[in-house]
Amino acid sequence: MSDIARARRFGRINLEIRDDMPMWKQSLAFLAGVAAGLVISVVILLVSGVGLAALLNEFVVFIFTSPKNISGVLVQAGPLIIVGLSAGIAFKARFWNIGIEGQVIFGAIGATLVAINDIGPPSLRLPLMAFFAALGGMMWILLPTILKLRLRINEIISTLLMNYIAFNFLLHLLYGPWQDPVSSFPHSEQFEDFERLAPLGWQSLNTSLLIAVALVIFCFWFMVKSRFGFQLNFVHSNAQMAKALGVRVAALTLTAALISGALSGLAGFAISAGIESRMTQSFFIGYGFSGILIAFLARNNPLGIVAVSILVATLMIAGQSLQVFYQIPFAMVQLIQAIIVICVAASEFFIRHRVRWVE
Amino acid sequence: MTTGPGRISAHAESGPAHDPAVPALALRSITKSFGDFVALDDVDFDLRSGEVHALLGENGAGKSSLMNVAAGLYAADRGAIEIAGQTVSIRGPSDAQSLRIGMVHQHYKLVMPFNTVENILLANAAGGYRQSLQRVRELISEKADLVGFEVDLDKPVGALSIAEQQRVEILKVLVAGANIIILDEPTAVLTDEEGQRLLEAIRKLAESGCSVALVTHNLNESLMHSDRITVMRNGKVVDTVLPDAVTGPDLTRMIVGESIVEKRHLSTVTGKPRLTVRKVAARRADGLPVLSDLSFDVRSGEIYGIAGVGGNGQSELVEVLMGLLPPSEGHLYLDGPGDITLARSDERRRFGVACIPADRQGYALAGDLSVSDNYAIGGVLSGKYGSWMRLDRKTMTRATRSAVKKYDVQGVRSDGQRSALLSGGNAQKLVIAREFSGDPTVVIAHSPNRGLDVRASAAVHGHLLSARDAGAAVVLISEDLDEILLLSDRIGVMNSGTIVSEFDAPADRHDIGKAMVGHV
Amino acid sequence: MDFLINWLANIPGFAVPFALGALGLIICEKSGVLNLGAEGFLLVGAMAGAGAVLTFGGFPLVALGVAALASAALSLIFATLVILLRVNQVISGLTIVFLAQGLTSLIALKQGWTNKAFTGLSSIDLGPLSDIPVIGRIVFSQDLIVYLTVVLFFVSVHMLNKTNAGLRLRAVGENPDAADAAGINVTAYRFVAVLIGALLLGLAGGYLTVVVSKIWVDGLTGGRGWIAIALVIFARWRLWRALAGAVLFGCMEALIPRVAAIGIQVPQYFVLMMPYVVTLAVMVWTSLSRNPATDEPGALGRPFVREERH
Repeated sequence: MSDIARARRFGRINLEIRDDMPMWKQSLAFLAGVAAGLVISVVILLVSGVGLAALLNEFVVFIFTSPKNISGVLVQAGPLIIVGLSAGIAFKARFWNIGIEGQVIFGAIGATLVAINDIGPPSLRLPLMAFFAALGGMMWILLPTILKLRLRINEIISTLLMNYIAFNFLLHLLYGPWQDPVSSFPHSEQFEDFERLAPLGWQSLNTSLLIAVALVIFCFWFMVKSRFGFQLNFVHSNAQMAKALGVRVAALTLTAALISGALSGLAGFAISAGIESRMTQSFFIGYGFSGILIAFLARNNPLGIVAVSILVATLMIAGQSLQVFYQIPFAMVQLIQAIIVICVAASEFFIRHRVRWVE
Repeated sequence: MTTGPGRISAHAESGPAHDPAVPALALRSITKSFGDFVALDDVDFDLRSGEVHALLGENGAGKSSLMNVAAGLYAADRGAIEIAGQTVSIRGPSDAQSLRIGMVHQHYKLVMPFNTVENILLANAAGGYRQSLQRVRELISEKADLVGFEVDLDKPVGALSIAEQQRVEILKVLVAGANIIILDEPTAVLTDEEGQRLLEAIRKLAESGCSVALVTHNLNESLMHSDRITVMRNGKVVDTVLPDAVTGPDLTRMIVGESIVEKRHLSTVTGKPRLTVRKVAARRADGLPVLSDLSFDVRSGEIYGIAGVGGNGQSELVEVLMGLLPPSEGHLYLDGPGDITLARSDERRRFGVACIPADRQGYALAGDLSVSDNYAIGGVLSGKYGSWMRLDRKTMTRATRSAVKKYDVQGVRSDGQRSALLSGGNAQKLVIAREFSGDPTVVIAHSPNRGLDVRASAAVHGHLLSARDAGAAVVLISEDLDEILLLSDRIGVMNSGTIVSEFDAPADRHDIGKAMVGHV
Repeated sequence: MDFLINWLANIPGFAVPFALGALGLIICEKSGVLNLGAEGFLLVGAMAGAGAVLTFGGFPLVALGVAALASAALSLIFATLVILLRVNQVISGLTIVFLAQGLTSLIALKQGWTNKAFTGLSSIDLGPLSDIPVIGRIVFSQDLIVYLTVVLFFVSVHMLNKTNAGLRLRAVGENPDAADAAGINVTAYRFVAVLIGALLLGLAGGYLTVVVSKIWVDGLTGGRGWIAIALVIFARWRLWRALAGAVLFGCMEALIPRVAAIGIQVPQYFVLMMPYVVTLAVMVWTSLSRNPATDEPGALGRPFVREERH
């Protein structure tokens, strides 16, 4: 194939699709991609004036020797894992859920609704908040799903639009009815103690991590072990064929999308009740796209999502101290994520294709 | 064909034009492999000026691959290409075009929302847009007159019929100034009558000085309409012969290697009607009516063949039978469950309906997934292999292995191998293994031999016959009249979305042909 | 009356970034490349434009050129991902947004461009024309880019529909296999389309800092890239409709602060929601109509790989 590079006189570069590559080679290519991404990021940080010793200190020594930072990483990983699962399960059904942020917002709105209106007895408050959060997320994905299944409206665009609608609705609440009566700041009033996820007794760890683990187990069962997951693989690979064989593609897509929405909603619950203890106007920022990139890097595998989420959480914790001590903007974390995705994508290209020089 | 427009290299024009000793196009020792698969193994082929040269062989013999090398779509691993005696290098379709080589592919390369002129202009622009448009329009009429085509210039080509689209493709290469014209299976999608007209046009082209390579798997076409015939098998050239010097059986032997002649076995025991279709009408997604007042019934223990030219509603009929397209009128009945008009596809499968669709990769297999997954999905959906909570992968793998063995699916190297790696015939055997694993009582087979070589298609036909002999009602929908005549116990002819007449086997080929094109 | 003129005179300034952005996206997407990285290209253009003005100490028109070029440079990465490496176009687009968010805030901070006000491009004065009552303020007192945008739309419409290059570009986006068979270099056409798209998006971004805000802060584009994407859907890939949509969106943006300023209570967040709700409604309406008049490219989002299989 000649379009990769215009060939000179006697030969051309030929691009062929590889039939198969052994699993270990694929894993190696993936790891090489991640490594290359990290190396490039390190170079950028060095150029930005952070010393190599300082970097080593921040990323390796500081994080892995301080219990405070280890727990910080795990706390941060919790919501990332949940949004990663949300993206992964939707992508498995070929549903491009770009609207995770909107669903996270509506999850938090659901939880906050229960918290500030004191719905239910205190002992049931947290489960109720979680339930309403899941419901909120599902509600926010329902319309794009129905539009896709009924009218074939592209969900990439519709879920994206739903994000902005959700965000403006959030601002309406925070600058209006839900404004903190105590401080008049645009965030909700603080949750009561029994409306926050309980600490686990070690550093800052709390039950949001347990929720994440439980959801990983559920998704692993659903996507890998159960009959649903088996059918979902066919929806992913060839929906037309799955339909012809009697797989109920629409029902399965709806189920996967609703689970995805519920997971995003629960991520909103985990952030608001586990980290911020209230609903703010910026708690959700970055989670949507991080979730999508995490699922992409993990190839929608629940266990892979855990690993990649921990990597991203480490970056975020290190990014916080880079911000404080070295004047590196926090957006550096996104830059590093982007670089890793680019490098892994490049390595995947060589897994899928064979480039040959033909005389 | 003296001057072509634009982009003609000095190369081609300087060559000796009509010296019969020097071929217009010569392919020398071409070798091409895809991974481990050697598609072309040291192949030689030459095309003289003004001849129609048939390239004959089974599907997968390497005919299309060879022509794709000449057209610049594939890069050969080894070998040389000569135009009028001079070695040239063809690095892409545009090189081929400037060497005046034009190819009409099996799958048309047309931009559907563009009209004929725009489509042809795309490859033939020279100078400004307006001038090119005008010039191309004139050239189209000129070339169309030359070969006797009529074509609507201003309709989007998406709205034209298949035969018209093919004419647009041929005009495209002619306007580009091609004098070496490659046609890949051009008659496969046409009615007999349209095919005849096309072959006449091809003859006119050759008389005007063009060289035509006609890729085909049809014996009669090559015997009656070509000047020379080159037969290919398994990526090699068997021989190049003159049509007067060979007979049909000779060619068959060359194509197949050894002759496999399938025999007709009519059904001995037929039961009561198993599948009944009554006055069914259906519309396509875009609202166009495709089926109307369609009725037939199929008894257990018989093969009901539905003959017809492609595009007369066959695909939609399959969709209606499988529950993928709800009929707008009429009813379907199954012996046992009764009215199944509204039953979903999964319910119909549970009633024992199995399907072998025409588009294997599109409707029967998930290419990314393993052979084992593709086999087991049928069982999983009917409740086999573990519970909904937990799949039993072990049993699945075991069952796949024994089915692969029983149905002689070759090329399965491991349980986890992706099904996309199977060749056409083996993929079809895998589909049949899955579809027959539930002992179906109704089998719907749509062009089951499409893309298969003689051996694989004989195996597939054997499986259909044994399903029938086991008491299943088989609906065989095929555009290949030979296949219909070979297998069917009764034949219905489909035309414009309905069954226009029925015949009991053995039926007269000529009568069926007439019904197919609507001159009953 | 004053209120009305004021409002109308302000619309073009709000509409230009949307119009240029949508124009860039349509040109890119006509080649079959779905560009979800719009927000990233805007950010890079905005930051580069501000940086250029601050570095050169003026020359806003040069700065706008720098903005366009910076965004085009970023698009080389995007084009490599989606065209050469065939990475999923959704993933690639989001990656570009992340990359741009990180890069712009890092570079601006390190260069000291953040939060530094400057003098940007001002409106041109057409003398007597600008003095015509009402019309003068609205039509003849805009900045140069407003007029340039209109010109660019005319040029683009002509290029897409009335030239060979435009025909080929549309063919590449509609059916790359057919274009390839016609000898068109699909890769090159897609690359160039992505590049031109990014130039325009960069110009739109530059406009936001150099002309509108005259200052750079992190995340200054505030989601306008996403609105531009919505606008393209709204316009169903037709240029004149995109321009009309941009003006419509500009109207809303220009209206809100003005209404709030004179003390009328409006549920402003619901008003801000409207563009998205309307776009969603247009999508529903398009899919419900029997004969949807859409110019959506047939191969949008699909990578091109020449079939080299047996």
